[in-house]
Amino acid sequence: MTTARTLDSKQQAIVDAAQVAVQSRGYWATVAGRIRDDKVTIVCGLVVLLIVFSAVFADLIALADPYKASMLKRLAEIGAPGYPLGADEMGRDMMTRLLYGGRLSLFMGISPIVIALAIGGTLGLVAGFLGGRVNMLIMRLMDVFYAFPSVLLAVAISGALGAGIGNAIVSLTLVFIPPITRVTESVTTQVRSLDYVEAARASGAGSLTIIRVHVLSNVLGPVFIYATSLISVSIILASGLSFLGLGTEPPEPEWGLMLNTLRQSIYVNPWVAALPGVMIFFTSLSFNLLSDGLRGAMDVRL
Amino acid sequence: MNAPAQSTAGGASALLEVRDLRKYFPVRGGILNRAVGWVQAVDDIDLDVLPGEVLGIVGESGCGKSTTARLLMHLIRADAGRIVFDGNAVRADDAAGLRELRRQMQMVFQDSYSSLNPRLPIEDTIMFGPKVHGVSSAEARERARELFALVGLDPAQFIRRYPHELSGGQRQRVNIARALALEPRLLILDEAVSALDKSVEAQVLNLLLTLRRELGLTYIFISHDLNVVQYMSDRVLVMYLGKVVEIGPTAEIYQRMQHPYTEALLSAMPSMDPDRRTETPPLVGDPPNPIDPPPGCRFHTRCRFAEDVCRRAEPRLGPAAGEETADGPAAGADHLVACHMRVAASGHSLAPAG
Amino acid sequence: MLEYIIRRVLYVIPIGLGVTVLVFALVHMSPGDPLSAVVPPDAPEEMVQDLRKAYGFDKPLPIQYVTWLGRVVTGDLGVSVARGREVVDELRIAVPNTFILAAGGTLLGFTLGAIFGGIAGYFQGRWIDKLATAIAITGVSVPHYWLGLVLVIIFSVEMNVLPSIGMGPGGSTAWAWDAEHMRHLVLPVVTLAVIPMGLITRTVRATVAEILNQEFVQALHAKGLFQRQVLMHVVRNAAPTTLAVMGLQLGYLLGGSILVETVFQWPGTGSLLNSAIFERDLPLLQGTILVLAMFFVLLNLLVDILQSAIDPRMSRQ
Repeated sequence: MTTARTLDSKQQAIVDAAQVAVQSRGYWATVAGRIRDDKVTIVCGLVVLLIVFSAVFADLIALADPYKASMLKRLAEIGAPGYPLGADEMGRDMMTRLLYGGRLSLFMGISPIVIALAIGGTLGLVAGFLGGRVNMLIMRLMDVFYAFPSVLLAVAISGALGAGIGNAIVSLTLVFIPPITRVTESVTTQVRSLDYVEAARASGAGSLTIIRVHVLSNVLGPVFIYATSLISVSIILASGLSFLGLGTEPPEPEWGLMLNTLRQSIYVNPWVAALPGVMIFFTSLSFNLLSDGLRGAMDVRL
Repeated sequence: MNAPAQSTAGGASALLEVRDLRKYFPVRGGILNRAVGWVQAVDDIDLDVLPGEVLGIVGESGCGKSTTARLLMHLIRADAGRIVFDGNAVRADDAAGLRELRRQMQMVFQDSYSSLNPRLPIEDTIMFGPKVHGVSSAEARERARELFALVGLDPAQFIRRYPHELSGGQRQRVNIARALALEPRLLILDEAVSALDKSVEAQVLNLLLTLRRELGLTYIFISHDLNVVQYMSDRVLVMYLGKVVEIGPTAEIYQRMQHPYTEALLSAMPSMDPDRRTETPPLVGDPPNPIDPPPGCRFHTRCRFAEDVCRRAEPRLGPAAGEETADGPAAGADHLVACHMRVAASGHSLAPAG
Repeated sequence: MLEYIIRRVLYVIPIGLGVTVLVFALVHMSPGDPLSAVVPPDAPEEMVQDLRKAYGFDKPLPIQYVTWLGRVVTGDLGVSVARGREVVDELRIAVPNTFILAAGGTLLGFTLGAIFGGIAGYFQGRWIDKLATAIAITGVSVPHYWLGLVLVIIFSVEMNVLPSIGMGPGGSTAWAWDAEHMRHLVLPVVTLAVIPMGLITRTVRATVAEILNQEFVQALHAKGLFQRQVLMHVVRNAAPTTLAVMGLQLGYLLGGSILVETVFQWPGTGSLLNSAIFERDLPLLQGTILVLAMFFVLLNLLVDILQSAIDPRMSRQ
């Protein structure tokens, strides 16, 4: 095994914690207890819920139509009557569009992680459980993807496929499959070598049954927490693609795209132009703090 | 290796018959990560296990005891050799045959914690094996309750607990119950009590002996603890660097050992009896590197009787020759040893004349 | 250790080949005829066929790949469709510009990160640690393209003290060490520095804290050694990890500067990619991605080797 495949510090922390998880008593109870005591993590969890909630129920909360333009109200100031957060370059209500924008931004940020979790998780499980040549084939393939900085890979694939939400999701999924595969493979390799997996094999169970009953339950937790730590990056990247014109297309409200179109107006009304970025920032920050909290709680040495 | 014309158990028909079993592990290195050497973990060993007996396997750590256990369970694939269980030879690629074999043969591991899935209540762990073999959930649950009682755990109290909620001894009882859930005939106990406290160890050993009597089980009992092996076993097999150096009835091995390694091993064994203090020095140094085992007799580098012939030729396992040995009368026919000193006219100065 | 280095160097070959396959596949994944950018829609069928032959698009893909790879190896990345110039020549201008940005960003981010991380790790658990940690997490959470925009709003729009776009006066595309170019560098470099700053703060903080908790350092304290000597120990032990993170960050910034370059209209590889994508200039897209990825692969190699040379624990392998 070459050291070209070393894990970064975040991944290593997950793998180390997983090792503790499968070996120590009462592990998850301790983790839950730690999270209960961690106010920052709980608050961030609530903020994440609030953001998701307001995006999902945007049509109930928002006061205006996100597509209704008005020549007169173009780039209205923050606090203008009827426009609490001003209006964009076409005179559409910013607050409404920011609320609606969360739908696409969150969807484009989270769905690649979910898909990558399914694909990368499966690949990592297979590679880790079977080992040998299959492992080598899968992990070397991942190494090739690792040869690209993530932004470059996302832009390259999106750029080749062309603009559009679907293409952006495909490209981001491809960006996140390799790291998830790596972490899953490491954790699975550890679990596989434990005696209870040997004992299950000794009782005559097939590989699929062993994976389902004995491996999955021990691998899923750490991998899931690792995946949540990628959501923040994914949201930034997804909005970044839209910002470049590679993701969502006008007139859809989406934070990155809004930032792009408002960019032309920074000399007229700079602070309205900066608003969509504030949303991206807070969302990504909350997800980051939340996953940090989860990871910190997991890092229990007993 | 010679053709195993002769049974290591002295002729009786064996439950498990192993011939020429071999496992080498590659040592990788170099620029291309090729195998640059081989650890000869298990090298052409023969053994027989008789129905109903307890065969103890002893040796220093790294001598290949655990590898042998895993080979017998087909948890790792042997490089060569034949494993015949109850007259049926099972090939490693015969899935149905393996399944059946694994029903008849089960294993208890050393680490009571890592051999239980921390995510499953122990009841589910015990039910897992029977369900794999097509037993219905209800029936498997019923069986699990019986097994709990059998290994001395109150079903009502323990059945829904998780491994971390049990003590080491309780966990090892669960592991024994899990192994018994498939109603096996042969149980391999790989250092199964080594990690337990002495008092708990005794309880579990007695449980094992009771179970053996009540269920008519056969055990392969692997341990580095010579006292425990003596207490448990009918026959004892001594391994050194992947080879069988001596095998025979427990009393024979402990009182009329034939191999200098066995002698050294036993002399290092703490004894309560001041009259049985040894004059021979215990083993010195570590076993040689198994990656590159010495030619000839593998023990010659640490053996105080080593001569030229030991460095040249590998001794074969066979009945000890000679009328009298230093320690008493000649060994019985079921007592085999691999040492040039015990082969007539082998070329060793201490060998009996041919 | 020599063995490790040789193995590590050799491993670049399959990875490099994999990268070329991926980059080649990328272009053939893209929808539409690769010729559509060159050929006017009303071109006669005969001309299209001739061009197809001339570009080799009529051959099976594996052969096209081998032919393309053969040219790439000799340094021929083809001709930009939209600009009509050699891709290599375009890259010759753009890569150094991006490198200036990435190196500046890494250096600034590293300096700030080392300071914040060092302080935070040294004063573990105090308010100053919490502040530094907050800065770090902000750094990794902020969408840097937005941060760039905010900096432009503050320093160009509101205060009017720094230029908002370009690399130098009059749309300069060649770097010069003069005051004007430096002024143009400030905002993009600060923007880019935020990401490595966050990550390096975290890394350094964790490493310093871990080292200070180690027994040998506490023993040094107990022996009454001077703070400065303890500090030297910390630096020597924290260096390998920090170096690795820094090297990788330089690579990420090289490949990831496209967003920042777009905000500041910096004439580097990011702008090249941007125009290649929107003009469907496939040779330019292919060439730029390939060169950036190869840089990243080699940088990774360099980091691994340097790390194994510095860190005695690594050389066992």
